[in-house]
Amino acid sequence: MKTIFRAVCAFVLTVAGLTVSAQQQGVTADNILIGAFGPITGPAAYIGLAGRDGMNLAIKEINAAGGINGRKLSAAFEDDAHSPTRGLAAAKKLIEQDKVFMLMSVGGSNATAGTIDYVRDSKLIMYVSIASVPQVTWPFAKNMFRGGTTESARYGELYAEFLSTHFKTKKIGIMSGREEYPRNEGDATVTKLKDWFGIAPVARVEFNIGDKDFTPQLVQVQKVSPDVIAFLGNPAEAAIAMRQAKELGMKQPFFVGSNMVDPALVLAARTSAEGVTGFSLIPLLPGSKNPEMVKWQESWKKEYPSAPAGRPNNFDVMAYADMYVVADAMKRAGKDLTTDSMITSLEATKDFSVGAIATKRTFSTKHHIGNLSLVPMIVQNGAWEPVSWSSSRQSDILSRY
Amino acid sequence: MTITLAFQLAIAGVSVGSIYALVALAIVIPFKSSGVLNFAQGEVVTFGAYAALVLTQLALPYPVVVLGVVVLGGVGGIVAERLLIRPIVQAPEFTLVMATFAIGLLIKGLISLKFGDSAASLDSPFDPEPLIALGLRFNLTSLWILACTTFVTLSVIGFFKYTKMGKAMRAVSVNAEASRLMGIRVSSVYRWAWGISTAIGALSGLLVAPLIGINPEIGHLILRGLLAAVIGGFTSIAGAVFGGIAVGLIETFSGVLIGSTFKNLVPFLLLMLLLFFRPHGLFGTAEAKRV
Repeated sequence: MKTIFRAVCAFVLTVAGLTVSAQQQGVTADNILIGAFGPITGPAAYIGLAGRDGMNLAIKEINAAGGINGRKLSAAFEDDAHSPTRGLAAAKKLIEQDKVFMLMSVGGSNATAGTIDYVRDSKLIMYVSIASVPQVTWPFAKNMFRGGTTESARYGELYAEFLSTHFKTKKIGIMSGREEYPRNEGDATVTKLKDWFGIAPVARVEFNIGDKDFTPQLVQVQKVSPDVIAFLGNPAEAAIAMRQAKELGMKQPFFVGSNMVDPALVLAARTSAEGVTGFSLIPLLPGSKNPEMVKWQESWKKEYPSAPAGRPNNFDVMAYADMYVVADAMKRAGKDLTTDSMITSLEATKDFSVGAIATKRTFSTKHHIGNLSLVPMIVQNGAWEPVSWSSSRQSDILSRY
Repeated sequence: MTITLAFQLAIAGVSVGSIYALVALAIVIPFKSSGVLNFAQGEVVTFGAYAALVLTQLALPYPVVVLGVVVLGGVGGIVAERLLIRPIVQAPEFTLVMATFAIGLLIKGLISLKFGDSAASLDSPFDPEPLIALGLRFNLTSLWILACTTFVTLSVIGFFKYTKMGKAMRAVSVNAEASRLMGIRVSSVYRWAWGISTAIGALSGLLVAPLIGINPEIGHLILRGLLAAVIGGFTSIAGAVFGGIAVGLIETFSGVLIGSTFKNLVPFLLLMLLLFFRPHGLFGTAEAKRV
């Protein structure tokens, strides 16, 4: 009798397990497989390496705390090399071969842009932690979410307001890279400068990622004598441009894109970074003496003891926090985890916080932009410090939905 | 464009051009002596930058760092030639080129593994404030690079012209088999050609690091180095240096005059035009063949 009872129980449990896995790819009786991608090679590796490591640290902590409704989390990671085609290949492999439950983009806009049409059609969830490429959340798609980063249109609003009101000027020069994120944020800034303040930049010049000489662009900007220069690109390029600007005798302050509001810029540009302003996507930067950040950094360094200088950086924090946002939604979705239940659960996320190290995330059924808050910062004595400035304008972007 | 601006742009062009010139030199030397186009040279530059970073972190004085980087670069080249190139030296040229590609990828991979892909920086031994003279601004580090490029170029020209090994390299470049029959140790020539070129490559990395920062992607400079070498004629030391400076100047001036969008394209377009009229570059000569 006992044997028959055990056999029946085993049969029921097996069928139950098979049922779950048959219903929802990437979810088994004891595991949830997430697919993640980001650049871990190439000039944008500072984003993807951090995104991967921050996300994995959160997964380890979540599993150590018992996992999610009896299941452990695991992640399959692909290098997108900051390329749209490599990003698409990564997304396809993760969805079609690895059969993941959902995707996490912990890379830049270039690669993420390449995946959007495919992932939208796949109907699986993609949660974007770092890339600002607008198509993730606009036009609205039920299966696309944006976490720690905000949309480039929002960057445009904040950059335009800060540049014109903090620097009290109408003479703004913009230097932007030709890749996805700097071009989008540059365009959004130009649009909002015009719409909100009636200002046209006195110069808009572009450069290529990996350029080693910015003299031609700086000379073009210098000709029109702007009061401030907004530089949108990567820290390596910004460091060279700032040094060369000094050599050309340019005194204008630099404002940089939010991906550079990070210790990496100060490390690369050293004294040239002094006085540079920009918006941070996280309220506390790594290196802050805030007890929560100190504690988090200790955990991070314990996990990655031989990490190079400049790590952990902002992207570690963003991906770490976003993994907790996802895990929290999974928990609330319950044992019967499906794409639909996960979307419903994510949309019910309101002011989710992992603590002082990251901004709160809120989604709704109308929009999937989790974070609209950015913190203005300035480099003083070799460290990023908050600037006392706050936006006085209502964001336009949510009114689109 | 004012005269002052033109001179300031020329300074910037020569500054970036001298970096290209050093990379071009490091490409031309082994090609001149062994006919092998070393595609790993970009990664040798990267290696030099990271070696300088490590030695600087040991608080060694700058001259010791320079010496250390040059020696490490040279020894690395000799070891790579002995272990990875010499065993396949009789293979077709394409195989050798692919082998140098592999060496480059190996160097880059090891660097990424050890240091990660985040950017780092190296302080210049000189004051970051520019020197102002005649209304122009001179970056001291750029002047130092220019001085080093001039010194290396003259040394290499002197080496090829006046030393026994230099003459042997020239002989081997013309006809390796005949040189062997004349008593020249061809393997030794190859070894030294690699050692010297990688030492120069590593020195380039040390010199450019304070200006362009350090990351595993520095090796992309090889594209500009190759362009400079082709303009110069690929077998001419002076041509490589001239080509490097020319590329720097063309990039800088075209960026201002035509627009930054075309800055990187113009040197390649001009190269195509040049090769149409001078297929062997400005300083190169057609190889005479008995028919």
